[in-house]
Amino acid sequence: MDSMVRNPDVKQRDAAQAVVVAVSSDAIFDPEVEQVHGATEPLRKGDAFSFMKAIQVVNERLLTMNSDETLLFDVILLSNDSEEKHSRIIASAKHYGLDIGRFCFCNKEDSIESLQSNNVKLFLSTDTNDVCKALQKGVPAALLYRPTDPHHQTEDQLKVVFSGDVIGSSEEMLHGLREQGFTETQLQGFKTAKGSVKEFAVLMGEMRRRFGLEGSPLCTGLMTVWSSRNVCASALKTLRGWGLLVDEAFCLAGAPRSPILNLVQPHILCLDGLYHMEGFTGMS
Amino acid sequence: MSEIKPTNPAATHTGEEKDWAASKACSDSLKTKKPKPPKPQNAVTIAVSSRTLFNMVEERKIYEEEGVEKYMAYMNQQKHENEPLMPGVAFPLVKALMTVNSRLRQLYPDSEELFDIVLMTNNHAQVGVRLINSINHYDLTIERFCMTGGQSPIGYLKAYMTNLYLSKDGEKVTEAIEEGIAAATMFTSGDVENQLSDTQLKVAFDGDAVLFSDESEIIAKQRGLDKFFEHEQEFENIPLKKGPLKCFLEALGKLQRKFYAKNERMNCPIRTYLVTARSAASSGARALKTLRSWGLEIDEALFLAGAPKGPLLQIIRPHIFFDDQMFHIEGAKELGTIAAHVPYGIGQKYHKGELIEQPDKDVKDKK
Repeated sequence: MDSMVRNPDVKQRDAAQAVVVAVSSDAIFDPEVEQVHGATEPLRKGDAFSFMKAIQVVNERLLTMNSDETLLFDVILLSNDSEEKHSRIIASAKHYGLDIGRFCFCNKEDSIESLQSNNVKLFLSTDTNDVCKALQKGVPAALLYRPTDPHHQTEDQLKVVFSGDVIGSSEEMLHGLREQGFTETQLQGFKTAKGSVKEFAVLMGEMRRRFGLEGSPLCTGLMTVWSSRNVCASALKTLRGWGLLVDEAFCLAGAPRSPILNLVQPHILCLDGLYHMEGFTGMS
Repeated sequence: MSEIKPTNPAATHTGEEKDWAASKACSDSLKTKKPKPPKPQNAVTIAVSSRTLFNMVEERKIYEEEGVEKYMAYMNQQKHENEPLMPGVAFPLVKALMTVNSRLRQLYPDSEELFDIVLMTNNHAQVGVRLINSINHYDLTIERFCMTGGQSPIGYLKAYMTNLYLSKDGEKVTEAIEEGIAAATMFTSGDVENQLSDTQLKVAFDGDAVLFSDESEIIAKQRGLDKFFEHEQEFENIPLKKGPLKCFLEALGKLQRKFYAKNERMNCPIRTYLVTARSAASSGARALKTLRSWGLEIDEALFLAGAPKGPLLQIIRPHIFFDDQMFHIEGAKELGTIAAHVPYGIGQKYHKGELIEQPDKDVKDKK
């Protein structure tokens, strides 16, 4: 059971046409804050703050170009917090002027159902496990990249990076991984991830095309971490086929990804199945 | 100036080891003969721009005259995307690096001390398909690339642990040098193109303000040659400070020693040259002693005592020649040598011995 609260301060989007994005409240507001009963001051900013600001920039630019635009970001704040914190969350959102359309309060166990029933195009969290669980249940999800220096992450431009190793790999190549010790579950995970990333990529492609090559408030990128250049080329073509012409591309071929990611500082990192393995500690 | 490899505190071990295992798994499962790219911290990484690797003169013209949108439209046309680009000025160098790598792999099959070539371009990612198609066409071992979509590549050079950056854009090269990365601006050689060795990589360096700092160059420019010779003799035993390309020479030397260790000195596929205006009789000694104090060897030292470098380079036929002075670059180009300008030091303020009037710097759009 969830309770959806509309934000009266924000103009409601047409949810059927918009890019509905659910963001975990722990990402928007710092969850480490001491729980003081009856506290009313605004919650501290969390890791997703520059992301929220960047989304606003994109929406504003879209509306400037076309006041009837419906392909906008529509943010749902997803909270598993206790009831006493609900009003504080809503008040904090108002305090910071965040463009959050709706607040969804539910239990942790019901989160996935809430995401599914609200036609969420992407669920964002800084927690890899949450992203993983959502993906396994078929909910498109991506990681909110936690920058090493939060002040460094830009608020003027939304950066979305797609991980391309699975997108660019052929069926044959993915099958071959079985011989290298990847389990059937993992391989299935790769396929599911590829499917769920497609819909979001299509939307990003459409949105990106609203802007010119230069000066766009939305910047998209592709990164292949362990594959050869041909997988990267294949991923570029696949994304292109889905309507997404990425701006940046990085082919690491096994080089460490943290230095590159720290430079690119994406807000959203659409991971493929590979990143959901335990070994993935490069983010935090 | 950059050390052989900068330390990378941001890297975490476990995630990368998993990546490495997956990468190995991926290439193993392909059962391909293609060698795996080395870990960046072990390799000598050379970053080349798209315009140095390939001849993109026509495309550049469209970009400059008609703007980025028309340029992208042109590049993405199906018929052009599959058209291999013509080799550019850094192409012979890249082929030579690949030759050295095959020899190294023969002698040290498990070693990662190899050249690693990275394509570093601020082109839009959509041009990537055409670039990769061209790389495939010539079967070049370039597995890593970075397409910044218009942003400055400088930060990425560090992120890719670059030892040497080659570009046609002097501004980017200057920025790289200021950030402590060895870099040089490449120029297409003139009409005369010399036949280069395809079994031995030859790299020629100017001395002052390239391998060495410009401290003595300053004396020569400001106080004249006589004072320069006097000074150099007086300070003969004091090593010069290092210049922007010193670390690259060091990296080459390290690879050369791997051949010597296997008794391949006479057949070493890397040869280095010092081509300097210093004279053997006087100022040359300090140069050689400095190299020795650094523990660096150079195969041939050519002291020209001020004579033009062009004719000598024409005989050496290096795959690349580094010099800080445009005067020498032009001289080299005229006689068919691939020359790369190192925009460092006092030499940038002079042309043919005369102080250049510095124009007011226009505020340019940084791409």
